[in-house]
Formats: sequence, C-alpha cells, structure tokens
Amino acid sequence: MSTASFVEPGAGATAAGIDRLFLGLALAATAILLVLVLLDGQPASAALILGGFGLGIAFLKAEFSYTASWRRFLNGSDAGGLLAGLLVIAIVAIAVVPVAALVPNFGGAIAPLGPSLVIGAFVFGIGMQLANGCGSGTLYTAGGGSGRMLIALACFIAGSVAGSLHLPAALALGGIDPIIASQYLGPWGGLAATLASLALAAALIVAIARGRGANIRPKRGIIIGGIIIGLLSIAVFIAGGHPWSVTFGFTVWGAKIASLIGFDFSHAEFWQWAGPKRALAGSILSDTSSLTDFGMLFGAMAAAAASKPFARTAWPPVRSLAAAAIGGLLMGWGARLGFGCNIGAFVGGVASGSLHGWVWFAAALGGSLVGIRLRPAFGLSRE
Amino acid sequence: MRFVYIIVAVIGLGGILADHLTSPSSGRAVSPEDFAGACAPCGAPCPSAQKK
Repeated sequence: MSTASFVEPGAGATAAGIDRLFLGLALAATAILLVLVLLDGQPASAALILGGFGLGIAFLKAEFSYTASWRRFLNGSDAGGLLAGLLVIAIVAIAVVPVAALVPNFGGAIAPLGPSLVIGAFVFGIGMQLANGCGSGTLYTAGGGSGRMLIALACFIAGSVAGSLHLPAALALGGIDPIIASQYLGPWGGLAATLASLALAAALIVAIARGRGANIRPKRGIIIGGIIIGLLSIAVFIAGGHPWSVTFGFTVWGAKIASLIGFDFSHAEFWQWAGPKRALAGSILSDTSSLTDFGMLFGAMAAAAASKPFARTAWPPVRSLAAAAIGGLLMGWGARLGFGCNIGAFVGGVASGSLHGWVWFAAALGGSLVGIRLRPAFGLSRE
Repeated sequence: MRFVYIIVAVIGLGGILADHLTSPSSGRAVSPEDFAGACAPCGAPCPSAQKK
C-alpha cells in the first residue's frame, strides 16, 4: 500500500523514533491478556499469545507478504517471495505431519474437497489483492498502524460472519472427505510426499519464472523472516495442538459483536456445530485462533511503535479504502467457504499433508489474477 | 489515525475483558477441530457424515 506520509507533532512519540504511547499500549494489552489466561491456569494459552506476538513482529520486520509475493509472481517480475512462502510450509510440515499422525491430542489442518473450497478460495484470492493483504497480512498491517487495513480487518470480520451463514449451503453442493498423505503413506511417508509436493511446486515456479526472465532468489531478509515464521508456527502448533489458523477467530469476534446487537444465531446451522457453538458461548480467550490473533496484532503494534512514530500516515484516497473494504468482505466470506486463509488453509493444509491446501492455493491464485486486474479500478497499481 | 487506533484499542481491549469475565470458564483453549466429527478448522462436518 502506498500512502502519502506526513509527520505531525504529538504526544507519545520521541525524536529517537520510539512511539512510547503505542509501544506501552501494545505491551500493556499483551500483559493484560497474559495475566487473564494465566489466572485461569492456562499456560498453553499464554504461549499462543506470545507465539502470535512473535509472529506479528516477524511478519512486520521481514515485511513478509503472501499477497505481494503472489502478485509479483503473477505479474512475472519475481518468484522469490512465493518460494520463501513454500519454505515456511516445508519447515512447518517437518513438525506437523509426523506429530499430528503419531501424538495423541495433536491434529493437522484438514478440510473436505468440493465446490465450497474452490469457490471460497477463489473469492478469497480476489479479496486479498483488493485489500492488499491476506489473513495474516491484514492482521499485522492493521496492528502495525495502517488505518486502511483496519478497515479491511473490520470488513473481513463482517464477511466471515456472512460466510458462516452460507457455508452449510455451500457444503450441501457436495464434496469428498479430506485426503491426507499420512493416512495413505504413514507419518514418514506422508512427510516425504508433502516435502516432495513442495519441491515439485518450487521447481514448477522456478521454471515458469526463468522462462519469463524473472528473479527466483528470495531476498535474505525474507528467507530469515520465513525461517523464524516457520519456527514460530511450529511453537503455535505445539501450544495449540493444531496448525496456526487466523480466520476462525475473526468469525467468532464478529458473531459475538452481532449477538450483542441482537442477532440470533440459534437457528444458524454453522453455529450449532460443536466447535463454533462452544466458541460463541465461551470466553474469547479460550479460542486458539483468537489468542494468536490478539498476540499478532499487539506484536505488530509493538514492533511498529518501537521503530517509528505509530500510525502517522494520512488516510489513503476513498477508492483505496473502498478496495480495502470490499477486499475484506470477500476475504472474510471466502475464508469461511474455503476453510481458511493463506495461513489456515494453504500453509496449515499443505503442511499437514492435506490435499485441500494445494486445491486452495490453485483456486486462490486464480482469484488473485482476477483481483490484480480489478486493482486499477480502485486506483491501485497492478504491481 | 492515531486517535482512531486509540479508540479501537481501548474498545477492543474492553470488549475482550468484558467477554472473558462474563463468559463461562472453559479451561483449556480449544479449536473447533478438537470436537468429534469436525472435518475442517471451522468445525464443519465431513461430507460422508452429512450424507448419512
């Protein structure tokens, strides 16, 4: 996102670039959440918050962006970021595939294959290019001080609630049960197949990029960031028992807000399934994805405020804000029908050896192509 | 924009606190995938189960 920037004097910022007000706010908010879950005797929840906090810092500092890297690849200019994204998945898979298959109380990110997955991922792909951020990208840029992405996040939340109401009908279109490599090949064979699929995808991407004369080398900072993100994702997996996911938390937040203003979910099929029903009734701090989401928001805020005055850029043009809002809505709706975002469906799915991760990737890449073509209508560059 | 962020952060944190303190204590944090019959990260059932 490009925005005209100006600096205005204000309380809390120092000449050294540290924004004490927002750094303090981010640290105090994180500390409050940690105290709340620790008072409940839940160290694993504290670990999820801290894992999210670390991910927020890592994403912001490395400027790790699935959306921009996909766009650069689709525009033919650079495949380095896309390859770094596959590196993250390979790191996570080394832990997730065998542990999910061998250790009780651990599981992978699986999902059925069918029209709902394809439609949801395709729509998500359009939305992520309009909003200029996927699930994790929206979180860390909103946390990092982008007011535009704060709007995208609000619309993401609203869209995901709408998606939750439409998902049962989409599932009724048909589909087949999840296909998981470790179920056919065992834990180690499943891991080998998963890594081989990643290597094949990387080889294909390199071949396409070379054919176009595009760069195929990820920048050093992106590789280091990718390794740290991969390791933190493993920590979140160990603490939560499932691969890191982002968007279910948004759906729960939106449904709780909607309930507050009188919306009744008691007749909505999605909210009668055991997991969503429990999440809606229980504390928001007992939902694993919400815990990492909160940590990521405040981690990105802390990292941004520690290096420069926070949120001092001007609001972008209205058309750009409209793209963020529409993109957020599409991503939210698409994430529910497509069983997650780049993190929960693509990274988590492929790293679990679940075929749906690759189907999601292909459909979302197609949606991104459409989204890239739509960007100029909102005054955004195709690049 | 800073003012908007302060408002959102205060309301958001207040909302989390209120929700946590007024919701039933639920123990360990869970994901929808932890529940029997879940076939996706959101807790959706498997197609084979829906057909029955």
